[in-house]
Amino acid sequence: MLKRDLVLVCLLALAAFLMTTPVSAEQVRGVTDTEILIGQTGPQTGPAAAWGAVARGSGLFFKGINDEGGIHGRKIKYLLRDDGYQPAKTKAIGTEFVEQIGIFGVVGCVGVGPGMSVRDYYTENKVLMVSFGCSGVTNWIQPFNRYIFPVYQLYVDEAKALTRYFYENMKLKKVAVFYQNDDYGKQGLEGVERYEKEKGLKVVATVSAEVTDRDLSSHALKLKESGAEAVVLWAMPTHGALLLAECAKIGYKPQFGTSSTLSDGPLMMSITKGLWAGMINSFPIETPDSNHPLMVKYRAWHQKYEPNERWGTFYYSGCLYAEPLAEGLRRAGRNLTPETFIKAMETIRDWKGAIGAPITFTPTDHQGCKDTRFAQVQPDGSMKILTDWVRITK
Amino acid sequence: MDIKRSYYEDIELFKSNTILVWSILFLVFLGILPWLVKAYHLLGMSIYILNLITINALVAIGLNILVGYTGQISMGHAGFFAIGAFTTVIFIVNWSFPLYIALPIAGFISSAFGFILGLPALRLKGPYLAIATLGFGMSITTIIKHMEFFGGRMGLQAPKLYLFGTPMKDIHYYYVIMIIAVLMVIGALKLIKTRVGRAFIAIRDSDIAAEAMGVNLTYYKTLSFAVSAFYTGIAGGLYALILGFINPEGFTMIMSIAFLAMVVVGGLGSIMGSIAGAALLTYLDIKLQVVQDIPAIGPALVAFSQKYMSMAGISNIAVIVYGLIMILIVLFEPLGIFGFWIRTKRYWKTWPF
Repeated sequence: MLKRDLVLVCLLALAAFLMTTPVSAEQVRGVTDTEILIGQTGPQTGPAAAWGAVARGSGLFFKGINDEGGIHGRKIKYLLRDDGYQPAKTKAIGTEFVEQIGIFGVVGCVGVGPGMSVRDYYTENKVLMVSFGCSGVTNWIQPFNRYIFPVYQLYVDEAKALTRYFYENMKLKKVAVFYQNDDYGKQGLEGVERYEKEKGLKVVATVSAEVTDRDLSSHALKLKESGAEAVVLWAMPTHGALLLAECAKIGYKPQFGTSSTLSDGPLMMSITKGLWAGMINSFPIETPDSNHPLMVKYRAWHQKYEPNERWGTFYYSGCLYAEPLAEGLRRAGRNLTPETFIKAMETIRDWKGAIGAPITFTPTDHQGCKDTRFAQVQPDGSMKILTDWVRITK
Repeated sequence: MDIKRSYYEDIELFKSNTILVWSILFLVFLGILPWLVKAYHLLGMSIYILNLITINALVAIGLNILVGYTGQISMGHAGFFAIGAFTTVIFIVNWSFPLYIALPIAGFISSAFGFILGLPALRLKGPYLAIATLGFGMSITTIIKHMEFFGGRMGLQAPKLYLFGTPMKDIHYYYVIMIIAVLMVIGALKLIKTRVGRAFIAIRDSDIAAEAMGVNLTYYKTLSFAVSAFYTGIAGGLYALILGFINPEGFTMIMSIAFLAMVVVGGLGSIMGSIAGAALLTYLDIKLQVVQDIPAIGPALVAFSQKYMSMAGISNIAVIVYGLIMILIVLFEPLGIFGFWIRTKRYWKTWPF
């Protein structure tokens, strides 16, 4: 008995040693003479898989950058992992990134829940988080965090600016809100209410829908009865389409306006069968067919490396979200550490890439984009830009 | 060798000195495991993944008491998990309870819900019970979403805990979780061997026969739900702490089904099987996609998946392999991983015959 146990112990010990690989010590985690390691967690499977295109878009960007020779002699090694939009998995991958692979920073990481589960862990380990969360919630800037560089326009400010646009530019006096009953929708509501409060006005109607609601006829009726001339729509694409269909059915045609998350014009036109035309959109990024020299370059990369991907808003915005990271790496120079990177990022002032809105990071304020512009959806699904850049945050 | 002379011999934890020695060695191994993981990245693990596995193992044990031992089914355990997570955070943040009080409270609140859910279970069986529990799991998250008290859809941030003045990190949580887990595993092993466990098993085998023998069905069925929910609630509280942030979107129906899969893959009616099932499935779920880093094979698989499936790449393969492993285990070893263990043990004992 004893002898057999001994053999077993020896075997186990042997197996344990065979499976191990000691990590080599290096000076700055994720930076070698020839490489910079950048991680990304994006849902490729599960309920939020559609957003996974953002993460793949960033991959395209880095491929292009590497083929141009990289940044300061270093290529970017981009590690994309699927977290299935499950926070527990996001953090597991995060610990793998930090403790085993050793990454310099992350880009993207779609979602509030997944992002929040790793925010503090990454901060403790000095992982740079660029374009983090890919959403306009305030979790990334409050409390102030030196390691996070979010770029997305804040939803609250976006909704407030849209309301102002309705009142002041379009002279529409009765504004109602239709929002989805979740954190995203409620920030839209809050934005509208903030504007009305400042001006001493009142929202004529606030109508909310559950994410699972599929019958929006009573919602449409409520909006019609309120007599609103304009409706701020803060919801997901499905609800936007359903509400427009119901309103059209009862012959109610107010001016609709919505956030940048619903800015895939061609897609919306096709699912609403043309009802989407005339929509006022907050549209802070370049249009997919833009002639911006960078966008032309990215489209060429798309044709060259990943022709099977659809050049949709999610996919190419992944490209755009990676831009600030590359710019920071360029500015930081050859001597790259988290500190030099942060210092370099904080010198960015009114910098413009294809991402559209000018980006500014200062040592006390890391909200990258503070501007948006308004566009109107044309009958062919394209966007007609109506305004110049409008400062919406502070 | 296996003859029992009294009832107490049956509930004894260490039936022989060999088992005692091995158990102590195993505990020592658990004690030094974080260092092994930290120094050598054993199997590509991190301490956080160890914590996650342990927490899932607690849920699997709880669920196995219900499914494997009592023969009831639950597809709503993510609901209990959420209750445990939210109550722990709320008791610590809002009413500044210490962890060692907040966690048991969370467990008991969760088990109270388990008791309530156990009542309809008295009249429901099989697929009907599955649907009822499924509804429970989904309605819990919906209720949490709509109450500002629970942070609504915005979710809650778990408190930062301090141990003797230093903020707790994954390694500290590892020991907290492991101590709780060892105690709860011992508790489950004992429970199954005693009167209550025997009543559970009798109900599983035939509830009519059990009732005829004097087992109070109402009492034991609801008790089974309550105990199961207690384990899951405690695990949920620990989960909130290691994750640092919880929101209702994180507790999905898929999660409930994943728990059930852990139990079935591990082995119905086996505590050790639950642990093995939780470890295997949690590990695979996180680690399968590492395949893409293998030279030559990885890129080939990614290219194959992008050409014939979708642009998501390696995830497609990972999901298929994950499902395939589950199917193969259940197909070839209905007793799950526990079945493998029994066979290996027998092979070892009777070797070379």
